Amino acid sequence: MGPQLSWYLALSAILFTIGVVGVIIRRNVIAMFMCIELMLNAVNLTFVAFSSFFQDVTGQLFVFIVMTVAAAEAAVGLGIIIAIFRNRESLDVDEASVMKL
Amino acid sequence: MNSFLALQFTPPDVSFALIAPELIICVVGVVVMMVDAFARPNQRWVTGSISLAGLLAGAAATIWLWLSWDGASQAFNGMIVLDELRLGFTLVFLIVSALTVLISMVWVENEKLPAGEFHSLLMFATAGMMLMASGGDLVILFLGLEILSIATYVLAGFRRTDVRSNESSLKYFILGSLSSAFLLYGIALTYGATATIGGLPGTTNVAEIARRLNDAQYPPLLFAGAAMMLVGFGFKIATAPFHIWTPDVYEGAPTPVTAFMAAGPKAAGFAAFMRVFVFGFPFAAAASKTISGELHSAWVSVLVVLAIMTMTIGNIAAIVQNNVKRMLAYSSIAHAGYALVGFIAAGAASGVEQRNAAITAVTFYLLTYAVMNFGAFAVVQLIARAGDRRTEVEDYNGIGFRSPALALTLSLFLLSLLGTPLTAGFIGKILVFRAALEQGYVILVVIGVLNTAISAYYYLRLIIVMFFRERTTSWMAPPIPASIAIALVITVAGVLYLGLFPGQVINALQAKPIVTMSLR
Repeated sequence: MGPQLSWYLALSAILFTIGVVGVIIRRNVIAMFMCIELMLNAVNLTFVAFSSFFQDVTGQLFVFIVMTVAAAEAAVGLGIIIAIFRNRESLDVDEASVMKL
Repeated sequence: MNSFLALQFTPPDVSFALIAPELIICVVGVVVMMVDAFARPNQRWVTGSISLAGLLAGAAATIWLWLSWDGASQAFNGMIVLDELRLGFTLVFLIVSALTVLISMVWVENEKLPAGEFHSLLMFATAGMMLMASGGDLVILFLGLEILSIATYVLAGFRRTDVRSNESSLKYFILGSLSSAFLLYGIALTYGATATIGGLPGTTNVAEIARRLNDAQYPPLLFAGAAMMLVGFGFKIATAPFHIWTPDVYEGAPTPVTAFMAAGPKAAGFAAFMRVFVFGFPFAAAASKTISGELHSAWVSVLVVLAIMTMTIGNIAAIVQNNVKRMLAYSSIAHAGYALVGFIAAGAASGVEQRNAAITAVTFYLLTYAVMNFGAFAVVQLIARAGDRRTEVEDYNGIGFRSPALALTLSLFLLSLLGTPLTAGFIGKILVFRAALEQGYVILVVIGVLNTAISAYYYLRLIIVMFFRERTTSWMAPPIPASIAIALVITVAGVLYLGLFPGQVINALQAKPIVTMSLR
């Protein structure tokens, strides 16, 4: 018995959950950022799994678009991180609290 | 192999006319960037003027599409659609963007920020918003959302040396990307779930999704996908459990950008949200018998809870704020709640006519909100001075008699935000509440009206502070630059016009033949 579609879906759901939990509990901006990338890649895995299972190309096209967007997001995100590091010399989000809730 | 060959010989379904407004705005963004690269430092106003001209051209193209309307149509294989949802929202985005250019023109100079970069980012954000209203496919909606979001992350952190602006940008970025990931996971699950029992692969086309709901091969995935998309869009329009980022981001961002974020991306979020849920998971007659019926009643009831929470939390939290920008941020959350009431009415409507009336109500509401919100933020920006330093409520003590013009304009906008009769806010609220009443959501309307009463406290408080509180420190009325004066005149005229003679605008938004997307 080869790998089933549900295995891929379960794996991507687990990866996505790890990403969400990571964004919530990690306090370092870079680590949070990596967790978001993990979430996006979990989504990509879902798309590719469906795409290959359906023998349909739409999902793979979507993956390319997601990858492009993730790259653009990474560029902007790292830019923001550098700007904040220059002003404060720290990447701990608990210290990013000039404004209180 | 045969189908592959057939595909190759089909002429591509291209229609530049249908994406003319988006194309114009994108080209203007690139032109602004090029002009900025070669302009001398003292010619910075040029980019603002080019942006304004471009926005006017975009509006002209939209109105041309409107006048040549002969039924809903689509192009690029359903990627771009022209329908009742799109044109009204597109005009709202263009107005928002034009007002942002006007109120930021002098600000970028005074803060010594790169004007060209600001304006080109704004143009790209506008193009993203327009794609969110015109996309008929989840791919385009996602792309539009990302074009908008990435540009807005940068705009929020535009005052690079200011820690508050950095922080605002960082928080917006982290939570914005998180919500995009949720939305994307929802799209992926929906793509998988819409594979039919008959063997068709999944789809991301909104109209096609609506057609396939009852043949879906994996209904549980469909529910999970819809829930994930609801969370993603909920973050973008700042509904109640997902609103925590809003106050910090709005307070820290430069004031013109805050005005833009509160009006533009929120309206765009509503456009895409309604596209996916009202058209993709439409009303189905037998509520508990079919997959589509269950899905429809599920998302409508979730939204009812979210709307109640959003209105209540937004208004109650706004009461205790001492920073005016923060107060307006909570007020914008509350207004998203009122607009959600209209959205629910659109979703619950069984007839096409009622649905379109409810969509018109939401569009009109977001238009009035954009106008009064921009007016309020323009005054706040003038009073805050360079670096956004004076935004506390105490900074407004007793300015009413020192600068009556500014104080009276701000009072007009606050009264309109409150929803006083004769102002635009009143008509907007009436329309969404009437749409909800027609669908039998009495409880939503009651809670909405109660919330309006709560909101009177914090809007009137600012007016009282301005006119009846003594000022101990000296205060000079800020000079009003010409561009902000123009923006104020437009917004004051808009608030009064939409409040006194709303009929023409509502009719214009509605006067389109009724065609459903799902029937095409």
